[in-house]
Amino acid sequence: MRTRVVTRFGCIAGVVFSLAAAGAEPVDDDQPTAELKEHHRHHQHGGISQFVELGLDTLGEDEAERPKVEKLHAELHACTEPIEEKEASALLVLAEGVASGAVDPSKVEAAIAQLAPAGASIHDCVAGRLNQLHAALSPVERLALADKVQAHWAVWRAVNVDAVPGGKEPGGRLSELAKELSLKPEQVAKASVSLQASVPGSSAQLDAQKVEALVQRFATAFSGATFDATSVTTNTTASLSVYGTRQTAQFYQTVAPLLTPEQRATLASHLREHAQHHPTAPEGGSR
Amino acid sequence: MIRARIALLLALVSGLLSSCYGTVGVVSDVDDGYYPPAAYVATTAPVYYDGYPTYWYGGRWYRRDHRGWQAYRQEPQHLREHRARGVPPRQLYGRGHGEGHHRW
Repeated sequence: MRTRVVTRFGCIAGVVFSLAAAGAEPVDDDQPTAELKEHHRHHQHGGISQFVELGLDTLGEDEAERPKVEKLHAELHACTEPIEEKEASALLVLAEGVASGAVDPSKVEAAIAQLAPAGASIHDCVAGRLNQLHAALSPVERLALADKVQAHWAVWRAVNVDAVPGGKEPGGRLSELAKELSLKPEQVAKASVSLQASVPGSSAQLDAQKVEALVQRFATAFSGATFDATSVTTNTTASLSVYGTRQTAQFYQTVAPLLTPEQRATLASHLREHAQHHPTAPEGGSR
Repeated sequence: MIRARIALLLALVSGLLSSCYGTVGVVSDVDDGYYPPAAYVATTAPVYYDGYPTYWYGGRWYRRDHRGWQAYRQEPQHLREHRARGVPPRQLYGRGHGEGHHRW
């Protein structure tokens, strides 16, 4: 009798769970996803250390360890500030160019040239904090953070490397700009053609397979019981930052002349907002 | 969208069969390619259960281990109770959202 009751309860629970499942519609390109893509299109600094910072945003609850992790998060962010500032400067150069209707390539390149040295300078600072972070997290949190680093890299790669220049796919850079500035269909068509024709220089290339391997190596190491950041130094900061910023510059450099004065003003304003935006900075942490 | 609906239909059938006939494992391989996408994992806090971070996505709980993504065929009680308290809000990274939004 008791077995029958349990079986029936299990059956009912299964039905309820399944109905709940059937009623929940998954969304693959919703607001959080769109905003994350926007973020990764405009904020390249930090490489894997930035992905770690972002991963800490959604690590989950462990109230006991929270203050320690918050402190390390703030310190990690402070480590990446030098390159974040250079990236903000590059965005402001782009904003100035967009506002005037013509982005000056020499000014952009001068700003980009400052990214690599700034990126190379942060590794010692970052490595120490990553080691402390590993020690502060439980094994399952390390696993979660490693997953999140890989997830952020996947999104970064999708929007900065795999996206076809001038592609008009929903959620893509051009489609989002069209929404942002209410572009007319003919403007979108012209921008698409111009972007497809814009061929980045050889220095704009990124070995995505190599970065993929570095990210995987970092994730595997960080998931382990012991971790030494200096042994999995990825040096991804400079390469990702330079590549990503150059992609961003190429895009706005190409579309700026096709915009109306009002659209340029709006876009310049948005780029300035991006330059001031530090979503990875912890509350009360260093800016 | 069609793939999503098929996955949800399979979840429905799986749930019915597993609970009524008692032939369930805890998790099953995800072989239909339907699992939390990277952007979802990157913006959602997991629930820690049975030694894994798990994610509520598309009406099922998922976790990833050395075999890849796995889906729970039956909702464990701990996860059901957690979901009843409300799933965590997703992190927003747009220009309009300030630092540290929805952290932890």
